[in-house]
Amino acid sequence: MGRESRNGFVGLVLVSHSAAIAEGLAELVAQVAGPSVPIAAAGGGPDGTFGTDGGRVLEALREAVGSAGAVVLMDLGSSVLSVRAACGELPEEMLARLRVADAPLVEGAIAAGVTASTGGSLDEVLTAAQEARTVAKL
Amino acid sequence: MPSSETEVRTTATLPAEVPLHARPAGDFVRAAAQFPADISVAANGRRANAKSILEILALGALGGTELVIAASGDRAAEAAEHLAGLVPQLG
Repeated sequence: MGRESRNGFVGLVLVSHSAAIAEGLAELVAQVAGPSVPIAAAGGGPDGTFGTDGGRVLEALREAVGSAGAVVLMDLGSSVLSVRAACGELPEEMLARLRVADAPLVEGAIAAGVTASTGGSLDEVLTAAQEARTVAKL
Repeated sequence: MPSSETEVRTTATLPAEVPLHARPAGDFVRAAAQFPADISVAANGRRANAKSILEILALGALGGTELVIAASGDRAAEAAEHLAGLVPQLG
């Protein structure tokens, strides 16, 4: 388990077609996970439209991936493509500290954020995000 | 190493005005995650893994709810005592 001291907390990158969704979710996760976890939001297309902005995604990946790494969560369709494209621009040593989660965006981000805030390792945070697929709400 | 692990069980009541949501839920899970023990929380006829924020949120425990905290394994008694002490102070 990754509770031993480390240089930093695992970060999150939240990618959505909507800037309001990505930013609002970042605020919600910060509320539950506390201030220690780096969270970068990349929502909406260039010029404030709905969509995704590859440049902004790339910037968010660089921003959130500290020494402990970062887990990327995204909504649908072209968000996934934007994340893949942005990852293609990053050097190997940075890619090695990134994990892309196959998880529902809101639930996955909450689970990942709280796990990161406990000092969880990169793979523990990824697992928490992906477990959100199966945790019952009702 | 004991061959059978006993479960330590205790109860704690949330402050009247503090549901186990948002920040208080996060604080609770962070506290539980410090312990190696297996810890569960039961309320409203449901049981959650104390280290899973999504399961904790799904309990829907409103302010004033009595939580049953059960811990087993390494440092179980310490974990149960610590969490039972934390719950009334959440907010």
